[in-house]
Amino acid sequence: MPNRLRLRGEEGRAYWSMVLPAFSIYLLVMAFPIVLSIVLSVSNYDGGKMFGGDPWGFAGFKAYARVFSDPLFWNALKNNAYIVLMSVFGQLPLGFIFAYIIYRKLVKWPGFWQGVLYVPNIISVIVVGLLWQTIFSPNGPIAEVMNSIARAGFQSRLEAILAGVGSLDISDDHVRKILDLAGPAALEWFTDPVPELKELIQSYSGAPMQELLNDLCNLFVQRWSPEFLSKSNVAMLPILFVLLWMYTGMYLILFLANMQKIDAQIIEAARIDGASEWQVMRCIILPSLSGTIVNSAILAISGSLSSFSLIFAMTGGGPSRVTEILSIYMYNNAFLGRPNLPLANAISLIMVVISFFLIVLTKLAEKRYGGKED
Amino acid sequence: MGEEIRTTVAGRVGSSIARSAAYGMMILFTGMTLYPIFWLIMNSFKSTKEFQVSQLAFPAEPTMSNYVEAWKMGDFALLFPNSIVYTVGATLGIVFVSLLAGFAFAKISSRATKPIYNGFVIGILITAQSLMIPLFLEVNLLGIYNTRIAVLLVYIGTGLPLGVYLSTEYIKSIPNALIESARIDGATFFSIFRKIVVPMSLPVAVTLSILNISNIWNEFALINILVSRTELKSLPLGIFKFSGSLSTDYGKQFAALTIGMVPMLLFYIVFRKQITKGVAAGAVKG
Repeated sequence: MPNRLRLRGEEGRAYWSMVLPAFSIYLLVMAFPIVLSIVLSVSNYDGGKMFGGDPWGFAGFKAYARVFSDPLFWNALKNNAYIVLMSVFGQLPLGFIFAYIIYRKLVKWPGFWQGVLYVPNIISVIVVGLLWQTIFSPNGPIAEVMNSIARAGFQSRLEAILAGVGSLDISDDHVRKILDLAGPAALEWFTDPVPELKELIQSYSGAPMQELLNDLCNLFVQRWSPEFLSKSNVAMLPILFVLLWMYTGMYLILFLANMQKIDAQIIEAARIDGASEWQVMRCIILPSLSGTIVNSAILAISGSLSSFSLIFAMTGGGPSRVTEILSIYMYNNAFLGRPNLPLANAISLIMVVISFFLIVLTKLAEKRYGGKED
Repeated sequence: MGEEIRTTVAGRVGSSIARSAAYGMMILFTGMTLYPIFWLIMNSFKSTKEFQVSQLAFPAEPTMSNYVEAWKMGDFALLFPNSIVYTVGATLGIVFVSLLAGFAFAKISSRATKPIYNGFVIGILITAQSLMIPLFLEVNLLGIYNTRIAVLLVYIGTGLPLGVYLSTEYIKSIPNALIESARIDGATFFSIFRKIVVPMSLPVAVTLSILNISNIWNEFALINILVSRTELKSLPLGIFKFSGSLSTDYGKQFAALTIGMVPMLLFYIVFRKQITKGVAAGAVKG
């Protein structure tokens, strides 16, 4: 009996010395901040020393009232919802289709496609954000491509008009055609367009044709300058696109890994019995992936809560705060301008509550679809 | 026979139209994935002047000077070692602490296991980013703002929920008989951990390391609020510096982005199989 007691004691000591390192770090990094955000969200703490500084105390639920009456909060929540919708209706179906193509061997080199499509996941989000910010910028490659296409089109039509006509013997008719081509904006350059342009063209006599064409293009082709990230009504679209670009590969891997667990013989048997490919997909593959699909949707929601870095790098929440998501809205309230810490902590807690809601959802899904998949 | 079935199935799956469509789609999307990265690397070898002339052409006079200058301006000689310390330190910490706790949860019965273990599992779905502000305040309260220890603690803490979950589930599969016979031979729990559990848990340790190495190396949101001194910053923070006033200096910005991207690309090329497996195991969790 004493021997047994001693054993229990050793077991207990071993148990706690093994659990405590993890448990205490976990309390410090995850649990305590949650408690802190609860306390501070109902306080009037506004920075400075937490103990021994200016006294602070209970201030009621003012911060929550302010959050819920702030249009910027609803805007941020809406952007989170956009990200979730884009995941569920963009990343998931695309990832599923890619996985299906690879799984059913419609293409060769399965490892290659899978490997390449996952690459954006492995790159730092900051790198991805700054890269695409440049691509979408008014001077970026998209603008360059569009402008050179527009210019080439204009030049070829210009050449058609001037074909066989020297610059000296150009007629008013030709000049009018050029002006028509250039559109109304071109008229701003001249007070009396036809004779002035004619004179201008005639001054090129002797010079190579290409020079005239170049200068006319420079004069008349309007440079298109895309403002994807600085126009408030479209600024979310590039962000959603980049998220699609980044994370579709992850869903591809998830779906493929779980498709590969399906017994291939079932599919072969079904095909031999005359099932069409569509029936195989609908009656075998989709049902066995239902758990994965639900898990992926949950992942999409938690992913939208953690898209801070990408948006921080691409727009910082701008222009005029329209691309804020909850985490950026929280960050800006804590660090931009006059910090409002109770407000920021209230937002933090709201995000934690959304996470808890996800956990409940996961548990329900587990019950419904039976067991975890790993 | 099996071969025959496979060919008939494959034959019917892949009408030539379906196959061409599949190839078309794959080529389109892999092209869209790779081209921006290729474009970035290509332009990192151009002078800003050449970049402004044409962003799509190959560099006519490739130059390394962007790299030299970006390396200096971004203080990458400082940040690179920092990133390595944070990544290696936190990953080792997560793996070790998770395996310890996982062993206790899986193999030593205690009434404390259920509530504590469930606490960890709940943490898997709590995004650490949502705790940014209280974490910032806590770190200031404890007087460890601008210290390496704060960064390491936060990284280990955020990695623990998944770490403990995967470790516990894995160690449960180690046969009890192994551990019991070692106990009867008089081994302590710690020597069992060292001699039996750790060697047998290598696969889950690898999965955890792979998942955490890329996460921590690329992490930005949390370290952004934990340190402000250059000597303590990590690579993503240094790269972010190139977005503000330096963003028009395209050559240097691209060089900095490439410097930030290459280590993880190499890591991915070497460990692609394990990374893919780890993602599939780690992302679908209960």
